[in-house]
Amino acid sequence: MFVKVPSATNLGLETIGVDVEVNIASRGLPVFEIVGLPSKAIDESRERVRTAIINSGLEFPFRRIIVNLAPADLPKEGSFYDLPIAVGIVSQVLKIGLPKNSLFFGELSLDGTLRHTRGALLLALFAKEQGFENIFVPKQSANEAAIIKGVNVYPIENLYQLFSHLLGKTQVKPAEYQGQVRRGEEPEFDMKEVLGQEQAKRAMEIAAAGGHNLFMLGSPGSGKTMLARALPGILPALGEEESLEVTKIYSVSGQIPPEGSLMTICPFRSPHHTISQAGLIGGGSNPRPGEISLAHRGVLFLDEFSEFPRSVMEALRQPMEDGKLTISRSKAQVNYPARFILVASSNPCPCGYLYHPKKKCICTEREIRKYRKRVSGPILDRIDLHVEVPVVDIRELSQHQGLRDFLEPSNKIRERVIKAREIQRKRFSAEGIFTNAEMKNTHIKKYCPLSQEVKRILSQAGLSFNLSARAYFKMIKIARTIADLEGAEEVAVPHMAEALQYRSKEN
Amino acid sequence: MVNSNIENIVPISDSRYPKLLKVLGKDAPKQLYYKGNWEEGIFENCLAVVGSRRMTSYGRQITEKLVSEIASVGITIVSGFMYGIDAVSHKAAIDVGGRTIAVMPCGIDLIHPDYQKDLYQEILENKGLVISEYEGNFLPTLWTYPRRNRLVAGLSKAVMVVEAGEKSGSLITANFAKKYKRKVFAVPGPLTSSLSKGICQLIKEGADVVTGASDVLDFFGKRLTIKATETRVSVNSLIEQKIIQKLQQESMEIDALSRTLGISAAEIGTVVSLMQIKGLVFNENGKYYIKN
Repeated sequence: MFVKVPSATNLGLETIGVDVEVNIASRGLPVFEIVGLPSKAIDESRERVRTAIINSGLEFPFRRIIVNLAPADLPKEGSFYDLPIAVGIVSQVLKIGLPKNSLFFGELSLDGTLRHTRGALLLALFAKEQGFENIFVPKQSANEAAIIKGVNVYPIENLYQLFSHLLGKTQVKPAEYQGQVRRGEEPEFDMKEVLGQEQAKRAMEIAAAGGHNLFMLGSPGSGKTMLARALPGILPALGEEESLEVTKIYSVSGQIPPEGSLMTICPFRSPHHTISQAGLIGGGSNPRPGEISLAHRGVLFLDEFSEFPRSVMEALRQPMEDGKLTISRSKAQVNYPARFILVASSNPCPCGYLYHPKKKCICTEREIRKYRKRVSGPILDRIDLHVEVPVVDIRELSQHQGLRDFLEPSNKIRERVIKAREIQRKRFSAEGIFTNAEMKNTHIKKYCPLSQEVKRILSQAGLSFNLSARAYFKMIKIARTIADLEGAEEVAVPHMAEALQYRSKEN
Repeated sequence: MVNSNIENIVPISDSRYPKLLKVLGKDAPKQLYYKGNWEEGIFENCLAVVGSRRMTSYGRQITEKLVSEIASVGITIVSGFMYGIDAVSHKAAIDVGGRTIAVMPCGIDLIHPDYQKDLYQEILENKGLVISEYEGNFLPTLWTYPRRNRLVAGLSKAVMVVEAGEKSGSLITANFAKKYKRKVFAVPGPLTSSLSKGICQLIKEGADVVTGASDVLDFFGKRLTIKATETRVSVNSLIEQKIIQKLQQESMEIDALSRTLGISAAEIGTVVSLMQIKGLVFNENGKYYIKN
């Protein structure tokens, strides 16, 4: 007897249909084999499936069972074939037909319950695209799958429940999308909690509004990390399409917790500087997304930027330029989006206390030069905004009464950011880009015409600040964003003058 | 590295050998190696300017101001080509068209520290002189630095010390100056700074306090020929005036200006950028200073 159970496999963010063919032969020695390039995890599913079936009080046939995962030449990975295999076997034992147009997906536990399985969202999406009506997924992954409308998502707790449903004894209702079940990850800090750092906060606002990358230089304890962590709070919430994009990435990498839902808040990732290249940009033989993809549409914060290994820093170059990453492996080639705001921070010197008002720096000139050189030039070139974060003197701050009233909360800043983003979206609607930061030189010429006066300021600044040609373009981009924040049609002198504050002071 | 030239040696027997060095007796080096254009006039009125490698922005500011005024009347600035005050003195002297002598702690063919080779070239291209008592590629060692200091003091009629910590090498130079009966000038700094400790010590021991370039020029019997350049650019807006007022009291960051004036950092940044382009203020290590 032969049964074909439809399922699917994820290759990067692509989903490919896989038929799980289960044949229980009436002759031959009892054996249970899986063929069709299964990974170790799938091969081991034999033991899980057998034990789970028996422990669910169902019969496991003592026959020759061959499972084929078709297409046979595509390598398969993951633990979610447990359910389709078990369904294929038990349905033949119970002699029931399978529901039409249905996908099965999920990892089994030895007691027959289904575990939360990564990639449920992608499967639901695939089901919808391919015209499947029903999908059967673990209960804990059901909310994630139910994000996709137009497909019946059956939340299955265990094998017994599934077969009761298939036999028509009890009814499992399709899951409704519950929205945010657990509390969303709120940004850790509100901008109004950051005392002082007026200029750095303004730079954050510009970065958020124009999608510019940002580099912060400052001593330990000056508040660089706090500022970076407050940045997601002033970014516009993700749109529907963006949310889905981000949630997909988190789904394939198994980062969506049980009962998880759509990610609506901009992701914030801050990998430690000991991260490997594969960890940062993605990799593995079946390539998984790296931190840069997990930061897609959000913020990638690289603290202690000069401590990152050179090779890891350099690997950021191409994805920063393209906003996506292609990972090629012998078995597969996958694409992951990676459009993020890079926030990098570094100490001014190895000991960290150069320019510190109180503590003494113990580094020699040579050490400082060496330290600064460790930050990759090409990466710094791709960072528009440079800002110094001085150490805040608490006593000096407390002298200013009413300073706290002066502080703006994140949501107020975000309103301005959203307006500026809207202006940019309209401006670039025909260009396929969304933010000022993405402008290429041709866009700058087209969308940022400068008046004579602004040009004059810029060329004067070029002389007094020793600006490179690339720096000119950065200044124009930043000035454009500042103008957008103000709602101004054209870049005027004040916008350009302020932009000059965020130039790189290193030569 | 620059190619050695056999002719660039001045032995003590040579008539071109600096007289001030000759009188040092056994402290006088047997020969001097040099790069650049050896012209006897350069040794006539020498002022050594030495100070901390780890200068503050105040140190840079005052050195630039004093040296440019002193060098512009034709006094040669002698220093040790270290980073910090030394390098600033050389640079300031060149920038006003003055002459400067860099004394190396290493062989004449080496540039130490090597990342200052741009400054080295500039000195040579602007009638300056690089000298050393060591030949070829002799590497600098711990003991050559104080030996070099003895030449810096020995070549000069007076030594001016800007910013020196408690155990600064500049104090060694000052001590040589005393030993050779040369004048010692000390440029005062804030008492709170650790880089004023050495200066205070010098003043207690009888060094002359410098309150302006004229103090030094009087000693050389010279007068300031050009008035300090009065290129006052008009101060336009009210904010500019407020900022100038604040910065005259104390150097500040944008953040501090924003807080004390109660104006947003964006606006302060805009105004300060324009002021910087106009040359009213300058930035160092994140703080803004009035340009004078």
